[in-house]
This record gives sequence, C-alpha cells and structure tokens, in this order.
Amino acid sequence: MFERFPRSSRRVLQRARDEAAVLGSPKLEAEHLLLALTRDEDPVVRQVLATARLEHDALRQALEAQDEAALASIGVSRTAFALPPNRPLTRTPGWSTSSKQALIRAKTVAAARHDGHIEPPHLLLAVLRAEAGTVPRALAFAGVDRIGLAVQTETALAGRR
Amino acid sequence: MMKTETAPIPELADGLAAVVALRRLADDLELAEVERALQEGWTWSQVAEALDVTRQAVHKKYARRIDALGTTTRRHDV
Repeated sequence: MFERFPRSSRRVLQRARDEAAVLGSPKLEAEHLLLALTRDEDPVVRQVLATARLEHDALRQALEAQDEAALASIGVSRTAFALPPNRPLTRTPGWSTSSKQALIRAKTVAAARHDGHIEPPHLLLAVLRAEAGTVPRALAFAGVDRIGLAVQTETALAGRR
Repeated sequence: MMKTETAPIPELADGLAAVVALRRLADDLELAEVERALQEGWTWSQVAEALDVTRQAVHKKYARRIDALGTTTRRHDV
C-alpha cells in the first residue's frame, strides 16, 4: 500500500502515529496527519502552513476548542468529569476512516498530476480537501481559510518544477 | 467565534461533531473508570461484567495502557 510513499511522506505518517499515541487516540485520524505536517520540513508544506500561521500548538488549541464547542452544543462539558490528562497509547494506533480517506485522496491527487510519488504536499492537499469532520471544523476555529490554503498548496506544487 | 462557511450545513455539522466529541469523551471516561475500578480491587471479569462486554474485550483494550501507568491491578483472573 505504501510503495509509492517516499521516505519524506513515510516520515509524516510516522509522526502522525506519534501524534495520535501522545494524545491517547486509539486511531490515527486526519487531524494527526495535519499535526504531523505542521512539523514537517518539506519546503512546500512549510511555505503553505507558514502563510496561514498554522503552527503545531495553534492547531492543537484549535482542535481542543472544536472539541469543547461540539460538546457545549449539546450541553456537555469535559470539566464536569474527573478525567485524568491524556493517556499515551502504548500500541500503534490503527487507521481511522478520515485518515484512510486522506491517503486515498493523496494518491488521487498525485495521479491526477502525474506525480510518481505521494509526497508531503500531496498529503497536505488531501487533508485540506476534507469538507466535513474534525479537520475543517478545527481549521475554522483557527481562522484558517481551508479552501484558500488548498489552492495555495496546488499552486505551490505546480510551481515546484 | 466559529466560522461556519466551511461546513456544508452548519446545524447538521454541529450535531454530528457533537456525536464524535461525545464518543471520544465516553472512551476517555471508560479508561478512567476502568483504571479506578482496578485500583479499588475489582477484577477484569467484574469490570467486564459491569460494562457489559467480554473480559477479553476490556482487557485487550486497556490492559497495556493501564499497565503502562504502573497501576497495580489484580491479574489472577486474566
């Protein structure tokens, strides 16, 4: 499944696994891919995320804000429960539907551009293209123009060569 | 404030996001309560019965995470 993933994007996937594990998430979700991408060294990814000022901590906060607001909308608050802080996961998190979808979309993006490899910018574009779910909601909380960022990623990818 | 223009139908998206957040909260609560019960001396079998799941299911889901915390649990029934 990952034969067209070069070392650069495998590094993103490994970091995403670490992000999920640290947050105690049993599944690797699309938001963990995005968190991993905020720490990536790929020049296109860095450039695009820098214009949106989307840094790791800011995204973490936006994800928490999204979660809190979603619970508040049904009258639930996490603070009402005596919950310990995040418990790190000791096993490798499995893929969630949102992250599987992102991988499939990344392959489609690369194929449409006739790119032989699925690189970090393809992964970024794939994550940004999700229209519903935690990632678009958290990005809205962070004040990030998701669609604009996706267009920018596409432009940067096109201008790469 | 949340910008809703990115979600297809804001009210519906809010409701569905609430379900996702609630599932996550329920999972976190389950881990905390399982850990607490084990610390109080419950066996995995008793925890499983209380949660209405099999002992294998609850043990598989939590044993390593709870062990990783260094919690002393009664393991004779595993």
